[in-house]
Amino acid sequence: MIWGIIKVLILVFLLIYVVFAFVVVKQVKLMTVTLEVGFEKQLKLLSFIHLLFAIAVLVFAIIIL
Amino acid sequence: MPEIFSASKQKKVDVSMQERYPLASFLMHPNGVTFETRESEEKIILFLRRHLITNVPWIITTIIMLLAPIFITNTTVLDSVPSNFVFIFVLIWYLITTAYFLESFLTWFFNVYIVTDERIIDIDFYNLIYKEVSDANIDKIQDVTYKMGGVVRTLFNYGDVLIQTASEVPNFDFLAVPYPDKVVKVLQDLRIEEQQEALEGRIR
Repeated sequence: MIWGIIKVLILVFLLIYVVFAFVVVKQVKLMTVTLEVGFEKQLKLLSFIHLLFAIAVLVFAIIIL
Repeated sequence: MPEIFSASKQKKVDVSMQERYPLASFLMHPNGVTFETRESEEKIILFLRRHLITNVPWIITTIIMLLAPIFITNTTVLDSVPSNFVFIFVLIWYLITTAYFLESFLTWFFNVYIVTDERIIDIDFYNLIYKEVSDANIDKIQDVTYKMGGVVRTLFNYGDVLIQTASEVPNFDFLAVPYPDKVVKVLQDLRIEEQQEALEGRIR
């Protein structure tokens, strides 16, 4: 029973986290428009990897919990 | 004419430095740097952000956070937790570590101070979802002071440049920037140049 509640809480947390990771991607895109210093591709890639990592953990949690 | 406007040997050196080091904290006449509200004729004289050494605390914290699960999983703390939950907890921990690293790095990277031949610009990136961009014309600058104190700041030659203006934003604080004395000198030269332009009626 307790692990069922924890599972739901984890999934809700991860869902919110994916939204947050998406906001980060959007914000990095906006900031690279505000300021261009020749490091934009790497930053966008970094934020995109973060988003993929968040989605992967959510999918993984759904499968194994 | 103040020396900062002349194409000196120093300028050529800094241009190549910018190409090699996009994470530099102090650049004079940077090549390849631009910002959203830049006018076509506006020249960037100085590009500043916090000194690299100010990143050490969050880098150490990130390393500790990366190593923490290795130590915790070797103890008996998580013995009563099912192994699949332990695995997800570890993944969530690394997710939070990544977010902390990203926020710290982006906050440092996008918190920049730009001095152009016309104005000073302060781009602030407080956290991952809030940004603020403010600027003031060079002729609105009323007072410039710089502070340098403490062992680390003296050792690595960085400090705060505090600028008071008569514009909507009364204070511009360039915090923990390298070579604050040079920044003050550049601002002083620019103010003199602006005054000369005003006297000669060459204002853009």
